[in-house]
Amino acid sequence: MTRCTVTTGFFLLGRCGRAAVAACPGCGRPVCAEHAVQGGYCPSCAAQAGGPPDPHDPSFASAYRRRYYESSSQTYYDNQWYSSFDSYDRGAFNPGDDYSYGEGDFGPDDGTGFVDS
Amino acid sequence: MRHRAAYFAFDRFPSGKGSAVHIAQMADELFERSGGGLLGVLGGGGLPGYQREGAREIVRFEEQIPNLIDRAEAYSAWAAALLREHVESLEIVHVRDPWSALPALTAEDRDYKVVFEVNGLPSIEMGHTWPWASPATLGKIRELERFCLDRCDAVVVPSRVIGDAVRRLGTAAEKVHLVPNGADLPGETARPAGAPDRYVVYVGALQPWQGIDVLLRAFARLGDLADLRLVICSSVPERRAKPVRRLAERLGVADRLDWRFALPHPEVAAWLAHAAVSVAPLTGCARNLDQGCAPLKVIESMAAGVPVVASDLPAVRELMADGEHGRLVPADRPAELARAVRILLEYPGEAAAMGARARARVAGGLTWTRSRARLAEVYRTIAPSDR
Ligand SMILES: [Zn+2]
Ligand SMILES: [Zn+2]
Repeated sequence: MTRCTVTTGFFLLGRCGRAAVAACPGCGRPVCAEHAVQGGYCPSCAAQAGGPPDPHDPSFASAYRRRYYESSSQTYYDNQWYSSFDSYDRGAFNPGDDYSYGEGDFGPDDGTGFVDS
Repeated sequence: MRHRAAYFAFDRFPSGKGSAVHIAQMADELFERSGGGLLGVLGGGGLPGYQREGAREIVRFEEQIPNLIDRAEAYSAWAAALLREHVESLEIVHVRDPWSALPALTAEDRDYKVVFEVNGLPSIEMGHTWPWASPATLGKIRELERFCLDRCDAVVVPSRVIGDAVRRLGTAAEKVHLVPNGADLPGETARPAGAPDRYVVYVGALQPWQGIDVLLRAFARLGDLADLRLVICSSVPERRAKPVRRLAERLGVADRLDWRFALPHPEVAAWLAHAAVSVAPLTGCARNLDQGCAPLKVIESMAAGVPVVASDLPAVRELMADGEHGRLVPADRPAELARAVRILLEYPGEAAAMGARARARVAGGLTWTRSRARLAEVYRTIAPSDR
């Protein structure tokens, strides 16, 4: 039996593991009945721009994606604070410039939080 | 889905870092009282961009933007868009940093209350992590902090030291609420696979202010204890450990170290529980002194019943007492640190008694249950749920 590989959980994540009923057309992962959004998409793909247009989609996700891309195409300049940051200010925060030892604070396997205990 | 509550953090969640434990506890409390909620955090590292868990939705910001300020700006825009979707139903928005607070506070037509959780001040913190950031630039970040502190409805801090720092920035004292960090008391744990017979443990990230260099220098002074090993449970990935490893080579202790990277939280508890001593060698830099910190590793070590040797900083003194739950030693002094560890190793009976008292101290007042009750009180104060 093929099992659903959708990630579930809040703090400790795992795989769903229920019997799959479809393979997501977006990423190919097997999805169970519970997790298959209309068209058999997994929740992540459904939430992404280009996901299935679904008027009944209970999730706000496609809507927020659309709005996000609309708003970020013009930068977040409606906010005074970010616009006060010029290229000189920004220049101090490029990857490799931090004390995180030469490889930058930014990478596919790093979190980006600046406060940690 | 309509949400009455939202929690935003410019941090990857979940992760192996202490901050993730904290986010989980705070957001869980908020969502439990609100019948669900929206969690906006950073993604990447294979985490799904969208998750739905019952009445909770988790959305992750996934843009790969190298420059930190550009990334924060895009994140704020993303958060602003999410908040717009829910502005009518939201009653409480809990934010963990200025980049989340800004969009929450400036949203048009907001009727919700904003709880600003301050675990550190980026204007101080970033001066320590980004050496090229000029005082003028950090001053702008300070302005943003002030703006967020002024406008929010409540400020939540994990330690009195941070509370004082926030008040020094002009925040009204009655708006600042202390919600200490906590720990869950772990049950019996099996000895971790590959654990040495006798070891000192360090748990956490590897930034300079964590004081690992001090710990390595102290450990070099314990070279006569041939069977003693130092286990470093790093919350950050292996490639970040290079400088620490280089220093260990130079000090001649590299072959007495055991490394574990980004372990799941329950496994860390086992490494703590079976250690002879847990060390929190935080340096006495401005970041730890003025801004303060609330080292989760100290509380988690105490909860595991292991005696702690920690730097004698105000924020640490809020958690443990010297001679009672472990030892407090002057920061940045490898010889003193080594001596304190050595004495605990020489008097295992006394060390065990300290560990037991530390665990009792956590049980009596530093559990997550207790912290969450305090947070719930803050929510009740600003947004009575009977409206
Ligand atoms: Zn998919
Ligand atoms: Zn499933």
